[in-house]
Amino acid sequence: MPFAPALHAEWIKIRTLRSLLSALAAMLLATAAFAALATAEADGGDADPLFSVFFGISFGQIAAIAFGTTAVSAEFRNGALGVTLAALPDRLRWFAAKATAIALPTLGVGLLTGLATLLVGKAVLGDSGPSWGQGLRGAVGCGLHLTLMALFAAGLAAVLRSGTATLSVLIPFLLIVSFVVGDLSGGVADFLPDRAGQVALHSDGDGTLGPWGGLAVSALWTGAALFAGAWCVRRRDA
Amino acid sequence: MTSIDVRDLTKEYGARRAVDGLTFSVPPGRVTGFLGPNGAGKSTTMRLVLGLDRPTSGTATIGGRPYGALHTPLRHVGALLDAGAAHGSRTARDHLRILAASNRIPVRRVDAVLAETGLAGVAGRRVRTFSLGMRQRLGIAAALLGEPEVVLLDEPANGLDPEGIVWIRTLLRRLAAQGRAVLVSSHLMNETAAFADHLVVLGRGRLLADTPVKDFIHARVRPDVRVRTTEPGALGDLLTRHGYDASRAADGTWTVRHARVDELGPLLAEANIPVLELAAQEATLEQAYLDLTASEAEFTALSQEA
Repeated sequence: MPFAPALHAEWIKIRTLRSLLSALAAMLLATAAFAALATAEADGGDADPLFSVFFGISFGQIAAIAFGTTAVSAEFRNGALGVTLAALPDRLRWFAAKATAIALPTLGVGLLTGLATLLVGKAVLGDSGPSWGQGLRGAVGCGLHLTLMALFAAGLAAVLRSGTATLSVLIPFLLIVSFVVGDLSGGVADFLPDRAGQVALHSDGDGTLGPWGGLAVSALWTGAALFAGAWCVRRRDA
Repeated sequence: MTSIDVRDLTKEYGARRAVDGLTFSVPPGRVTGFLGPNGAGKSTTMRLVLGLDRPTSGTATIGGRPYGALHTPLRHVGALLDAGAAHGSRTARDHLRILAASNRIPVRRVDAVLAETGLAGVAGRRVRTFSLGMRQRLGIAAALLGEPEVVLLDEPANGLDPEGIVWIRTLLRRLAAQGRAVLVSSHLMNETAAFADHLVVLGRGRLLADTPVKDFIHARVRPDVRVRTTEPGALGDLLTRHGYDASRAADGTWTVRHARVDELGPLLAEANIPVLELAAQEATLEQAYLDLTASEAEFTALSQEA
């Protein structure tokens, strides 16, 4: 069976659930709105102008994670997966379609989020803001980072088979572990999935990883999560 | 014409055997009732047929092929496993559109099955607002979407109102008349006997009976006969003399077990006993089924201890 019908079905699933569309809207609004606020406060000399614009990513990525988690965990409620897999018995093809249907809208809205955030930031900061070159790199990095976080959550949700469990793992991790360990800075913390992707949102690449290297590390985490998710979907009884 | 073939099917969950060496077929053109107490393995068998669970050993095939080998499975097999499976936040129509898209089924079929199951008027409503009966109808609509030759329904009458039960009986009869293979599970015998041609009965994952409904009734339902007379004493002597197992109620009515009116009538006439009433009392089909499954019922022992 070809891939297109599976993707079509998964795409209709996403656009017919209001909670999923709200999560994408929240991703855009949180990231862009916090940019305006954080920028206005960060008037110090040594502040990173690019990251002060993209500060809201910490909140936007939670919306991206909620999106990826919910899109997958909806299948694990009340026997929904039985209906899905009876229609698409090739489980790997189904999971690939699910991941694609999560990735495409997140990337689209994520790039839009990056651009909107940059424009807000430029408008607020004026001359003291990041350069256009840096800013556009940040906008693209923002879109990619949000997409990777949504897919990371999707993979984890397929392993844990529960939205509540997935969010209970990821949100404390992002809010506490990554925030605290991340502020201790440098070294290992830069390789955590969310910190690595955010390197692209800083002006100076003073860490071990460059902006694209950081996204590559984040992509490795996501790849591992998706691989584990696909393995579980294939191996377990539905 | 496609049939379901289950061969030596076994499924173990840890140490527990949910399905134990099961072999039966569901041929086209008739309704096969799939009976057994709760926990007998009916749903597990259906999940194994649909490839949702993997068998420990044995095979389940549709027209000779495993379910996973079907390219557009909804066009061959329609199934209702769990009426709660549709997402509550979606509309009934969107739920069906998703399934149609996944198997390239034209959208007009969505409207056709909504009309057929009486849901056309509520197609745009969120599933969350549906009653259990409406959810069952939506699950049946999903099963019929691809005009499949094989239909599997797990407890479809659950939550249906009396009108809905009549509707599903008619629907099942029609599907079989159209030449489809229809497997319908239930834990109620009387309900099943109203629409099934054939019975497959499970107990603790094992096959207890695989027989036409008529044969099941003939072989297992033993009738009693009720006799009322002006001379109960004489009747009692007569019955004892002929070796009948009979008992007398307080009002003088006799109940004769495992007897038939055709043998008792002439006997009473010969003995010149005036008969006020002579009536066959069919032991219920439900009782025959309970007798069959009682020894196998998973929860019998537990409930007796409790």
